[in-house]
Amino acid sequence: MLEIQQLKAGYGEAMVLNDFTFTLPKGQITALMGRNGMGKTTLLKAIMGLIPVKSGQILLKGSPLENLPTYLISKSGIGYVPQGREVFDDFSVYENLRLAALGSSIKNLSLLPQIYDWFPILHERRNQKAGTFSGGQQQILAMARALMTRPEVLLLDEPTEGIQPNIVHEIGLKLSQIAEETELTILLVEQNVHMVKTMAEEILFMENGRLMASCSMAELNQDDALLHRYLTI
Amino acid sequence: MDIIIPLFDAMSYVLILVLIALGLMIVFGMMGVINMAHGELFMIGAYVMVLIQSAGLPFVFGLVLAPIVVGFLGLIIETLLIRHIYLRPLDTILATWGLSIALKQGIVLVFGPEAQSVTSPLDATLVLGDFSYPMYRLIVMGISIALIAGTFWLFLKTDFGLMARAVIARPDTSAGLGINTRKLYRWSFVVGTALAGLAGALIAPTISVDPQMGLGYLIPGFLSILVGGAGPLAGVLVGGGAVGGTNSLLTVWISPVAAQIAVFILAILVIRLRPNGILGGKNEK
Repeated sequence: MLEIQQLKAGYGEAMVLNDFTFTLPKGQITALMGRNGMGKTTLLKAIMGLIPVKSGQILLKGSPLENLPTYLISKSGIGYVPQGREVFDDFSVYENLRLAALGSSIKNLSLLPQIYDWFPILHERRNQKAGTFSGGQQQILAMARALMTRPEVLLLDEPTEGIQPNIVHEIGLKLSQIAEETELTILLVEQNVHMVKTMAEEILFMENGRLMASCSMAELNQDDALLHRYLTI
Repeated sequence: MDIIIPLFDAMSYVLILVLIALGLMIVFGMMGVINMAHGELFMIGAYVMVLIQSAGLPFVFGLVLAPIVVGFLGLIIETLLIRHIYLRPLDTILATWGLSIALKQGIVLVFGPEAQSVTSPLDATLVLGDFSYPMYRLIVMGISIALIAGTFWLFLKTDFGLMARAVIARPDTSAGLGINTRKLYRWSFVVGTALAGLAGALIAPTISVDPQMGLGYLIPGFLSILVGGAGPLAGVLVGGGAVGGTNSLLTVWISPVAAQIAVFILAILVIRLRPNGILGGKNEK
């Protein structure tokens, strides 16, 4: 579904990603883990065209995305939930979702009933300003907003950051359900091991802008040495 | 009546100032462009009226043509200059300052440095007892109110406005949702410049039209944004009211110099006490 081949990207002259290569199979939830500053967020930004790609390829179903403007990358089928959620504080829940519908290639609100069905709290509070929401509610809104763009691949950047544990579990289960129902491919950048174990089928470990190791969830459950190697300081 | 006529004059000035400041605010709030040539675009709107009148065409035709001509000029400026310096406010000051000089000199070459006049299309005066006021100025006030309301409607009630406000708040997040930020920047710039052109055309019969006229509105326009707050559109109303009202009323009641000093003191006080302006909130960017 999404192939990254020998990707080099960074800020100015400083390269953060060094020949990063991996493939996301269709419908699979993959977690990308690593310590802070290893390039996880940079990878997502490079895929979204928010930072320039120096070399390498990003292919969505075989079509190159690198160096396309961000809005076209979104329209081609990649949804993005940025770190820190970045909901529009002064917009109501409905306006946040309508905005995403306007940005999508369909440009209508036909998916809205489905979104409200997945996340009933958004329907209950559809006229409430997003800035008045708790961190967990904002995260739900940010994910729903990305889903409104009808992505085939969803990139999630640390969705559990600053959210209480019971909501983390709920979010993980809901995303797994949506992925199963819609064959959505998910790349989850996450440091919360519980969230990763709730959702992911495969885990990638990143260090210094390179892919260092990968394993299935079953392998990780048998031996968590990789977690210690790539996550502990 | 000694109070009412200066109040009407002040209101007329405030409304034109708000139209100009709205254009400036849209362009600055959305693109981070401090457009020093905005006053010259206002001036070109007035010169379109001079041309229309000298060609013997109807005044209303000029009111339609001025925003189209200036908006089209805005489109060219955006394509050739502004789009290369988005979100770089200091660079935009230099680039648009140079542009303002070029536009002024262009007008001098075509029309000469001397002032031109545009005859009011309406000589009638509204008389109510002891109160009398030129009808054209009242019509300008009415059109200005309608334009301001229209701009608010465009930005607060339409899909274009929703996307524009999203891009102002979070450009990268908006692009990540599939919003074409470049296209929005372009058309918002055109809307802002067209508003300036229309304001210039509207006010042309009430002032002397000359190549320097833009500066007299540009500085109060920027001060209106500073005082009201560069974020919410309503800030322009508050800022324009405070700056334009103070300037216009004190000019009549005390002197133009005292009015200028009072406006700058007001701006300094607002910067000191509310750095984001009276209605300016936090910046989400």
